[in-house]
Amino acid sequence: MSLKETVNGTTLGDRILFILLLIVSFIGIFFMKEVLPQPRDVTIEVEGKLTHRYPLDTDRRVEVGSPFGHLTLEIKDRKARVTGASCPNKLCELQGWISRGVIICLPGRITVTVGGSEEPKDRKVDAITG
Amino acid sequence: MIKNSYTLHVTRYTSKNKCTSRVTAVTLLTAYCLLLAVLCSCSPKKESLYRKTMILMDTVVTIHVVADSEEAADRAMAKAFEAIGKLDMLLNFFSDKSELALINRNAGVSGVRVSPETLEVIEKAVYASEQSGGAFDVTIGPESSLWNFVTRAKPDDKAVSEKLGLVNYRLIDLAKEKSVVALKKKGMLIDLGGIAKGYAADRAAEALKRHGIKSGLVAVAGDIKAFGLKQDGKPWRVGIRNPRQKGKDDEILATIELRDMAISTSGDYERFFIIDGERFHHILDPRTGYPARGCQSVSVMAKDGVSTDSFSTAVFVLGPEKGMELLKHLGFEGMIVDKEGKIHITPGIKDKIEFKRNS
Repeated sequence: MSLKETVNGTTLGDRILFILLLIVSFIGIFFMKEVLPQPRDVTIEVEGKLTHRYPLDTDRRVEVGSPFGHLTLEIKDRKARVTGASCPNKLCELQGWISRGVIICLPGRITVTVGGSEEPKDRKVDAITG
Repeated sequence: MIKNSYTLHVTRYTSKNKCTSRVTAVTLLTAYCLLLAVLCSCSPKKESLYRKTMILMDTVVTIHVVADSEEAADRAMAKAFEAIGKLDMLLNFFSDKSELALINRNAGVSGVRVSPETLEVIEKAVYASEQSGGAFDVTIGPESSLWNFVTRAKPDDKAVSEKLGLVNYRLIDLAKEKSVVALKKKGMLIDLGGIAKGYAADRAAEALKRHGIKSGLVAVAGDIKAFGLKQDGKPWRVGIRNPRQKGKDDEILATIELRDMAISTSGDYERFFIIDGERFHHILDPRTGYPARGCQSVSVMAKDGVSTDSFSTAVFVLGPEKGMELLKHLGFEGMIVDKEGKIHITPGIKDKIEFKRNS
């Protein structure tokens, strides 16, 4: 049976069904994109405004400055750390390497967030107290 | 004859088959149409979750809102951050320009006329001090100023006992009609560190509501106020930190659902140093001037953050037994991790709290 015969052999109902199936599949792809975890990244915010966004799987060093201070961020082996900070007590440096979570430079008002989209669902919380 | 009968049979079979396939096709079509209809009706007006973090009041403030658009979310969040920023200006203990600094500088000299916000938070602080019999005392300033948890300096005993006479909330004079606050003794210092962040979370949540947000969460460090339900129809979920976590990543002891409620946690692990195996932390007992010893962590849930913030400190200072009594008396919910690590919870949160197995 050739392709032409197959097409001729279909009824109107078959064709509508075929088109509907196509539409449903495309909608499916769209929904999966929304639901599936996106690749993880590192975001840097200064005073609440997003200034930089880098993928976590590319090693690099970044200089981040704000009107209140500056720091150097290192991304390596899917982890991030602060190596040089202008503040006196260097709490952000002491935090060391993190693979998920937030490093905060209070005096510089800089927030570094290592994306947590791979977080297991049962552990997911909106905020932490304490 | 035989052949004919065979043909008849085949014909009959085919027609029946066609009929079945048509029924199947129609059923399938209906099913797909229904599926499409369901998918479309799922999000008539697409609500999303928006989050923003700012550094205010010397800490991290994160706001989450459910909104129809990013613009609506941004507008409301900007107003909420502005509300917190204003409180930061008024209530900052360390800034010379704050109203609080003005009150403290004029201790024993004169009263200071203050804004409604400053008056309200001090009024609430005095209430918490009274209700807890002084276990929370907002005039702890002279003692808390002696400790430095960055340089890890423990004050000498003489200094601690000398300042104790200045810690007494009864020596605050509040003239509500005139909006004037006075400290009766020279050297007294009001320290709002145990109440201002919870109050700020309340004010920020109010600002969000005023700007059309139906569901949101404001976290001023660990003082959290949540209202409404998330876009998936579920309550907000807050993790309570494990007071003795081993790693650097956030370890959660339990999670709790929050709807139109606030939660605060006071812990001995937030700011502390250890000398000869003894832990010195920032939650001071106003009666001794030294860190309170009965608990590792106390979480309190109530309608507003101003209450949860101050009473989590009060309960921590009182210890597990008296602390539980106070929570019962106030009608608040809470969880206490005592000094041995044993967990006590109020009966009202049994169904809302979920403990993590690995902690």
